[in-house]
Amino acid sequence: MANAVIQIRDLVKEYDTVTALTGVSFDVKQGEILGLLGPNGAGKSTTMKILTSFISATSGAVTVDGLDLFANPIETRARIGYLPESTALYPDMVVWDYLVYCGEMRGFSREECHDRIRKLAGRVGLIEKLKEPIHTLSKGYKQRVGLAQALLHNPKIVILDEPTSGLDPNQIVEIRQLIKELGKDHTVILSTHILPEVRQTCDRIVIIHKGAKVADGSIEQLEGNLNDTHELVVGIAWDKDDRGEPLRQELAQIASVRKVSHSHGAALPIKHQVFEVDAKKDVRSEIAKWAADGGHAIIELRRRTLDLETIFQRITSEA
Amino acid sequence: MKQIWVIARRELASTFDSPIAYIAATVFLVATGLMFFFGIDGGQDFFEARQATLRPLFDSAPWVLAVILPAVTMRLVAEEKKTGTLELLVTLPVSDIKIIIGKLLGSMGFLVVALVLTMVFPAVVMSVGSPDVGAIIGGYIGLFLIGTTFLALGLMTSTWTHNQIVAFILGLLLCVFFWTATDALIKLAFDRPPVALRLLTFKTQFAAFAKGVVDIRNVVYFLTVTAVAVAASTYSLKSRNWR
Repeated sequence: MANAVIQIRDLVKEYDTVTALTGVSFDVKQGEILGLLGPNGAGKSTTMKILTSFISATSGAVTVDGLDLFANPIETRARIGYLPESTALYPDMVVWDYLVYCGEMRGFSREECHDRIRKLAGRVGLIEKLKEPIHTLSKGYKQRVGLAQALLHNPKIVILDEPTSGLDPNQIVEIRQLIKELGKDHTVILSTHILPEVRQTCDRIVIIHKGAKVADGSIEQLEGNLNDTHELVVGIAWDKDDRGEPLRQELAQIASVRKVSHSHGAALPIKHQVFEVDAKKDVRSEIAKWAADGGHAIIELRRRTLDLETIFQRITSEA
Repeated sequence: MKQIWVIARRELASTFDSPIAYIAATVFLVATGLMFFFGIDGGQDFFEARQATLRPLFDSAPWVLAVILPAVTMRLVAEEKKTGTLELLVTLPVSDIKIIIGKLLGSMGFLVVALVLTMVFPAVVMSVGSPDVGAIIGGYIGLFLIGTTFLALGLMTSTWTHNQIVAFILGLLLCVFFWTATDALIKLAFDRPPVALRLLTFKTQFAAFAKGVVDIRNVVYFLTVTAVAVAASTYSLKSRNWR
């Protein structure tokens, strides 16, 4: 992939008795927000731990910003900001001192650290907490401190492992907004199993299941790939109280239609009946023609789309 | 190099943020004081000896250091493993050996403070007589070296586990073993222990320091054992990669 800032090739990780990754390959483009999805134990965190050099791989190759990760672990770590799942911080330290410590560990002078912290504190919403001991902070603020240390050196790549886990709904919205903003200046890899989060924040998704990549693409692409069943939702105006049985029978006569089932009836804004049509091909034009010929008013005619949860479920259950 | 000092500074601050440091320092001062003044480890009573010497202190202090220093080092890596902060630390652009050296240097800060506290003993001795200052300095150099070696051994056991108590017990056993058990075992095994074997024990290597003699061979010995423990700690920290 042109413009790839991370290239992962045939990544394998074997623990004593378990193979966590069985040969995963994908690229991450510059400025992309990539969602790494998968059920618990699928291999997401293992992938992230390898990318951040916390653990090494059994085999495979990873290039970060043109550098071989395994040959240059220190240099690649300098290009990455990492928020681990646990967001473990030193509870005895004051937020300010902790961020200075992280900055100095990344090679900045104290003055540079102070400047960077001041600039960053507003962005991550930490201004009023900078002088407080970490052990007194709520989970949401601890998460912000974790994010601040990950962004302090303005890294090219930001890796966030379950960044909103354990946060309250308001905090989740704020952190998601922040992640979206990060995508303007950084390449972001985000691991989560909260699917709405992916829809709201990610440009692309890689789904890992049982240690293997089972899907890769934008949400729209994944929806398109799976939407080959030609299921339609058809609403027809009908003022009788017979659940539209004559309509169902007529719809079932249309060529290529396999099955028509009654979904529900509704009275507003026009009394109508809704059917689910399963066909061998897209029969929307045939239904429109049937309705016109029969003098039926179509209230609703749409292709049934799969939500991300269904996509995820199908992919991970098929694999 | 800067990263080592940053880690050392944090570790020192964190050590004195915990009550263990104060308890350990108090135990060290009280225990060495009792042994120094009253010879309760079987040594000579300072008041009866009527000699202006710190020999009783240098004879007894390694015992106490072998017990208290593993209590100071037990948290160094074990706590980071348990709380998860190790993941963030080792994913910073810093090598594992720098992390280990930084942590060792930080804990050495405690050792220096503990040894400075015992300066009250030479002050007492100097107030009642004229001790050999060179011997006192030599003894303190010896205590600093053997203390550093104990710290390195304690740090090594702290990398083996995420349980601080287990790290402490293993560190204690290792320090006490090297201080006294090796000597006892060699004497038990041989009627006339070979010189080469006797030279391997901490007690033999420390004996010259206790007399105030700084022999470069003894210095190299303790530095070598410390370096081996640092290397083993680094290896243990790295082992996360192939587990």
